[in-house]
Amino acid sequence: MTALEDTAVRSEPRTMSERLARLAGKSPTHIILGLIGLIWLVPTIGILITSFRPGADMRATGWWTILFEPRFTLANYERVLSAEGMGGAFLNSLFIVIPSTLLPLVIASMAAYALAWVKFPFRDTTFLIIVAMLMVPVQLGFIPLVTAFRESGTGLLTNYGAVWLAHTAYALPFGIFLLRNFFITLPKDLIEAARIDGASNVGIFRTIVVPLSVPAIAAYGIFQFLWTWNDLLMSLVYAQRNSIQPMTVKITQLLGTYATDWSLLAAASFLVMVVPLIVFISLQRYFVQGLLAGSVK
Amino acid sequence: MTAANPPATGSGTDDAKRPGGGFPWAALIFLGPAGLLLLAFLAFPTVYTIFLSFNRGRGGEFSNWVGFDNWVRLFTQDPNFLRLGFPPSGALINNLLWIVFYVSLTVLLGLILAVMATRVRYEALIKGIVFLPQAIAATSLAIIWRFVYSPDPNTGLMNAILGIGNVGPVSLLGNPDTVTWALIAVGIWGSVGFATVILSAAIKGISSEVLEAARVDGATETQIFWRIIVPMVSLPISVVAVTLIVNVIKLFDIIFVMTAGGPGASSRVIAFSMYQEAFPQGQFGYGAAIAVVMLLLLVPVMIFNIRRFRAEAVQS
Amino acid sequence: MTKFRLAAPFMVAVLALSACTGDSGSSGDGGGGDADVPEGDGSIVVTSLWGGAEEEAFTAVLTAFTESTGIEAEYEANRTDYATVLRTRITGGEPPDVAIIPGIGTLRSLARDGSLISISELGLDQSSFEGNYAPGILDVGVVDDELYGIMVKLNSKATMWYSPERFTELGVEPATDFEGLLQLTEDIKDAGATPWSLGAGDSWTLTDFFEVAYLKMHGPEAYDTLFSPEGDWTDETVQATIDKMTELYTDDNVDGGIDGAIATLFVDGISKVFSTSPSAELYYEGGFVGGIATGADVNPDLAGQEGEAIDWFDFPTIDGNGEGLVTYGGDVMAALVADTDVAAFMEYLTTAEAGQVWAAGGTIISPIVDVDTSVYPTVLIQKEAEQVTSAEAVRFDGSDLLPGTDLGAVLQSAIRGDDMGPILEEFQTLTAAAWESE
Repeated sequence: MTALEDTAVRSEPRTMSERLARLAGKSPTHIILGLIGLIWLVPTIGILITSFRPGADMRATGWWTILFEPRFTLANYERVLSAEGMGGAFLNSLFIVIPSTLLPLVIASMAAYALAWVKFPFRDTTFLIIVAMLMVPVQLGFIPLVTAFRESGTGLLTNYGAVWLAHTAYALPFGIFLLRNFFITLPKDLIEAARIDGASNVGIFRTIVVPLSVPAIAAYGIFQFLWTWNDLLMSLVYAQRNSIQPMTVKITQLLGTYATDWSLLAAASFLVMVVPLIVFISLQRYFVQGLLAGSVK
Repeated sequence: MTAANPPATGSGTDDAKRPGGGFPWAALIFLGPAGLLLLAFLAFPTVYTIFLSFNRGRGGEFSNWVGFDNWVRLFTQDPNFLRLGFPPSGALINNLLWIVFYVSLTVLLGLILAVMATRVRYEALIKGIVFLPQAIAATSLAIIWRFVYSPDPNTGLMNAILGIGNVGPVSLLGNPDTVTWALIAVGIWGSVGFATVILSAAIKGISSEVLEAARVDGATETQIFWRIIVPMVSLPISVVAVTLIVNVIKLFDIIFVMTAGGPGASSRVIAFSMYQEAFPQGQFGYGAAIAVVMLLLLVPVMIFNIRRFRAEAVQS
Repeated sequence: MTKFRLAAPFMVAVLALSACTGDSGSSGDGGGGDADVPEGDGSIVVTSLWGGAEEEAFTAVLTAFTESTGIEAEYEANRTDYATVLRTRITGGEPPDVAIIPGIGTLRSLARDGSLISISELGLDQSSFEGNYAPGILDVGVVDDELYGIMVKLNSKATMWYSPERFTELGVEPATDFEGLLQLTEDIKDAGATPWSLGAGDSWTLTDFFEVAYLKMHGPEAYDTLFSPEGDWTDETVQATIDKMTELYTDDNVDGGIDGAIATLFVDGISKVFSTSPSAELYYEGGFVGGIATGADVNPDLAGQEGEAIDWFDFPTIDGNGEGLVTYGGDVMAALVADTDVAAFMEYLTTAEAGQVWAAGGTIISPIVDVDTSVYPTVLIQKEAEQVTSAEAVRFDGSDLLPGTDLGAVLQSAIRGDDMGPILEEFQTLTAAAWESE
């Protein structure tokens, strides 16, 4: 924000003509940004409108025709919300997402701390290997891991265990990558001083590194939350009971074999989007600051 | 790898020696949980997959060894994966197109947007709007864009707009020559927000005096952009680019929900081919070979990363 | 690297372990005899990819089953990634008791992997219910001479959908042979309308067209050969069939042109003919079109107007051939767990009672001969059932029998006007290799 304020102070226009000249000089910026805003908003608004239109209308005319003949219905939302088990699926979503967000936050911060501030052999190589693991697609794990879970006899596939662990594990490479790059930018003197005062690694991690890195950790948390909340494939594979599956899975079950009930999907999409939007809007501040710091050394 | 990357600790020039020395217990404790999960969920399946690519892999388990059969078939007999000719086509080529165009355009747009956004009062709003797709699941993204691209001018936004100018209707998703480009556009739409947010933060780190001095010296905004801003945020740019490249090599969702690889196999990418061969068709050994190609594509990215870390080490 | 060195033996151990257990697991399954089927626990889980109206029709069958046997039946629908989910459930040791198998290629591969329980392994006697089915229907679920999958529902794929009311307005009539169909197409264009809608974004709509046309042009024997390991895709009969298809589906005849059609999905194609503002007059696809067109997703106002605002006519004969020949699509169900409850369920599925309940749901035809056509709730489905039962010969959806090669992609190229010679040669090579590796 500081740069923006600087700009404002620096060039406060004095007269009307100056003001107009400035506005004219900046109008290409406004036009381009306005256009970009439209391109990014309009398709989404279109689906929002579609979600309130009767299915037959949606197939006959474009969503923009509501300007001329507004006709709305809540039927699509009713169909999604009244589906048997949708409430339970919503709770399942929360029950899957919360541990799947908190666990990686803790585990990745710890690992990132070790990679940034604890000396040990092959530290950079270890970091590189972890970064390389960003590449491993989740699909690789399905068969070997599901086999391993079965043979472990722990029943993790039918309680939430497997899906928590899987979400956590696949979130780690990105989290460690992001947080290590952030941690390493913390002032070295501060950490050295603490070390000389006899602080342990656990102490430094808890009292210095984590408090100073809240924005970065929060940013990672938001990303992880969004991805986990929107996930379908991992839940299908690692949550092998109807009673523990999240909303995204439940919604696909409402569709017929041909899966083209667009009105229903539009309504469902917005219902699924509500929670991430609330989280995103309320935490946006952290998020914007956080990522910046994570990447700017 | 050991040879390529001399141990960072051995020299230990910049840090006071850890009290106690000996075995690095602290590192083990802090890295332990992550290490275990990564080994179990990522390293183990990777090794399993590499072995499986030399096996028939019936039912996803080791059934009988087939040597290099999967590999030979992949590169010589699978036109859906790689068809040489002019121009070459197939999932591998599509993925290369994605890497080049999706990554560079996303970074460029993100950068331009970040620079422009810092100059207006509604900065937070425009960044929020562009970031919105990050909160949208892939299935929803597919619905949103089906309604934009629909070839029917009655319900498809793009063709309705083109129709005003008496153009079209065009069917971007129905034509093998355009489908990948149409999907890349969706991908860019979904990712620019990510790039913008990271890069705008970096740009704000540039002191306004530098920019002001350049303006006083008579530099145009374009010159400032290319000669000052871009070089000064080159590190965050490379972070964004690496993240995007990594994601695009694993790209699956958008293809699966929007075209299922079609028309024909013209919009397939590597991860989609791997999925298609392994799961619906049960050819796990063959799917594993495709997955290993994905891992191999990482090698240049890895080398780039190693170089970068070395450069940083030199600087500090 | 230290970490990596530590890890390597661990991973090798896990690998070796899973490889061993994998082997012993499958050989154990294979050895399971047909003698004693263990007692069930009084409940079963059935999965499929049906949702919506199809799901309602099927859960009615499950309820009837529970009423007649006292065994609880739970239904799970997995619309997305059904094949992946099924395979990972099997691998995870948590398979459903009974599942719809997505495609005959998958049935063959699962049966050979030892993941399915054959009818005889369940202690059921095939000859006791064979008579309930028309000849040939049960053969679809046979793998290596063992019956694994039972056909539970089917639909004709020899139906041409149109609106009788609008045909009257345009002054045209349904066609009975292919020449007539081409003429009808011209007449519709002359009357100022667009003849065809095509949902070729789902390429199986093209394979269905190809199959019924091939069956009618070249007869059941040629059809059986083509969709078997002996099939030759470079044969001139294939090109001849494709020629018919491309004569009909041209840029001028199809709404939105061919490129538009290839970006149009199956249901979106239906809605071009049956939505409240239609843009085309004819749609080829199976009997299930009726249920979708009159449903909430497309145009619920059509419900009750069957035979007036929506109807179908037989896929026409071609060059005078193919009268009474019908292709059909259907789903097979197979058991993945061997116990008495599962056996009871599979047996129940073969009864006229089950067929009757299912048929009354109104979306499908029961393959069971004793199901009375009067239970079908609409005239359209009654007519469809009659078409199938009175057919001279019926043949199962051929592309579903292929070992996973993509005929749909080939046909998308065909309607786009690509040179088919090299494409068919390549398809032949791939298909032969895929049969070989099954």
